[in-house]
Amino acid sequence: MIESFKQLEQIAKDRDLADVFLETDEQEHAVPRDQILEALRKRRAVMRDCVERGKNGGLSMGKLVGNEAKLLNEAFQNGKTFLDPLTVKAELYALSVMGENSRMGVIVAAPTAGAGGVVPGMLLALEEERKIDQEKTVRALVVAGGIGSIIALTANISGAAGGCQNEVGVASSMGAAGVAYMMGGSTRQSIHAAALALKNTLGLVCDPVGGLVEVPCVKRNALFAVHGLTAAQLALAGVESVIPMDEIVEAMVRIGRALPRGLKETAEGGLATTVTGCEIGQRIKDEANQRRAARAAERERAAQERKSAIK
Amino acid sequence: MVGPSSSHTAGTARLGRVAREILDEDPVTVRFYLHPPLAATYRGHGSDFALVGGAIGLNVDDPRIPEAIRIAEQMGVNIEFHEEDLGEVHPNTVRIEIEGKKRKAEVVGSSIGGGVIEVFKINGFQTRFKGDSPTLLLFYRDRPGMISEVTRIIAEERINIASLYCSRKQRGKDAFMQIDVDSPISDAALGRICALADVSEARYLDRIP
Repeated sequence: MIESFKQLEQIAKDRDLADVFLETDEQEHAVPRDQILEALRKRRAVMRDCVERGKNGGLSMGKLVGNEAKLLNEAFQNGKTFLDPLTVKAELYALSVMGENSRMGVIVAAPTAGAGGVVPGMLLALEEERKIDQEKTVRALVVAGGIGSIIALTANISGAAGGCQNEVGVASSMGAAGVAYMMGGSTRQSIHAAALALKNTLGLVCDPVGGLVEVPCVKRNALFAVHGLTAAQLALAGVESVIPMDEIVEAMVRIGRALPRGLKETAEGGLATTVTGCEIGQRIKDEANQRRAARAAERERAAQERKSAIK
Repeated sequence: MVGPSSSHTAGTARLGRVAREILDEDPVTVRFYLHPPLAATYRGHGSDFALVGGAIGLNVDDPRIPEAIRIAEQMGVNIEFHEEDLGEVHPNTVRIEIEGKKRKAEVVGSSIGGGVIEVFKINGFQTRFKGDSPTLLLFYRDRPGMISEVTRIIAEERINIASLYCSRKQRGKDAFMQIDVDSPISDAALGRICALADVSEARYLDRIP
């Protein structure tokens, strides 16, 4: 098992990073590499499918979001976007996946559902824009997953444990390493891409309005997909993080512990307790109570009917 | 998996599924006792659908998860949600009481993110169960030699043990053994283990998908 990024750099110095992770996984879980790659080909296909479905938009469960991907796609198709196509697509694909997620669609947790738009946003946009072979994207998913699993040895990957830095921060870190890999970067560059991305998300809190994975989660995924791309760009140019990746992860854990409970997914602080956030939260609670009352009434009515049928 | 939150809809579905697999029959009643932070967030995140979905045997990526409560009601399963302080545990922790026609079971575990789970209590016994490898759960009466008899049968099958965990409620009384293995245990071997003196129940769980 690879236990730290320091160790990873030593082992994988001049080697293909995906091969190193596949080898370790083969040894650790006795699963042949073909099987691992096949599982990741399926994940890539689900991601791609999410992007296609999600582009059309549609209202979320909590009805707070849903049409972001549709709007951006329309602007893009009509030549009304000003950023370069890679950046726009990274945003668009992240929004698409998160739209599907908010409608309880089938998605890939990467590393979580609430941060599940970042990695596909970055990798699929890059694959398309730079005409990179699909198989390379699959191997970049191996790299992203490998980076995430080393982080997960030290940190719990959930907003409840440490805020959004543990979710979207980790996702952009994983994606940045994957992008550096796809662009032909070295192991050291991939690790520094991950480090630069993660370092600059530290302190990000988890304060979802009404407790739903909608506001700010959906748009945040788009913004941090771009953040990850820029981190990879710096690393590929040779820029390095002064603080080593292992120490950044430790800092993230300490910051997560120091964050008050209200900023860790409980919807008891931050954006969730703004005037608008509270109004929405109350409305969602009221609607849920109404639905429960309606269900209870329906059960009661069905029971009465059964009783009278017996008589 | 099905959205919107891996802690709330993937991990929780797997926790529900663990309870269902340990019960090993169709549930009649399932009671979920949610740790306060989870109780505060579970509805918005769809944990209620996911917990119930797992408890009626759905996989995490089953598109029917959002409909799970309705499906459970159609199956005639009684579902209850309660809040309970489960102590110094991960925020997303739940205690599940599940009952079928013949048996009942209890599972306490946490959904720690990314769909990863940690079950730390099964039927009142302390343990460490993650559902990421095939696992044998054994309920028996504590006595000398039990571990060696069970592990000998597993060794004869040429199966490697990844980890082994034992606990008991009292010396010579109810005890529990959890054996995580690298490859599946055959029905024949399972039969031999069940036939050992003082074994009251054995459950073989495949990797929880």
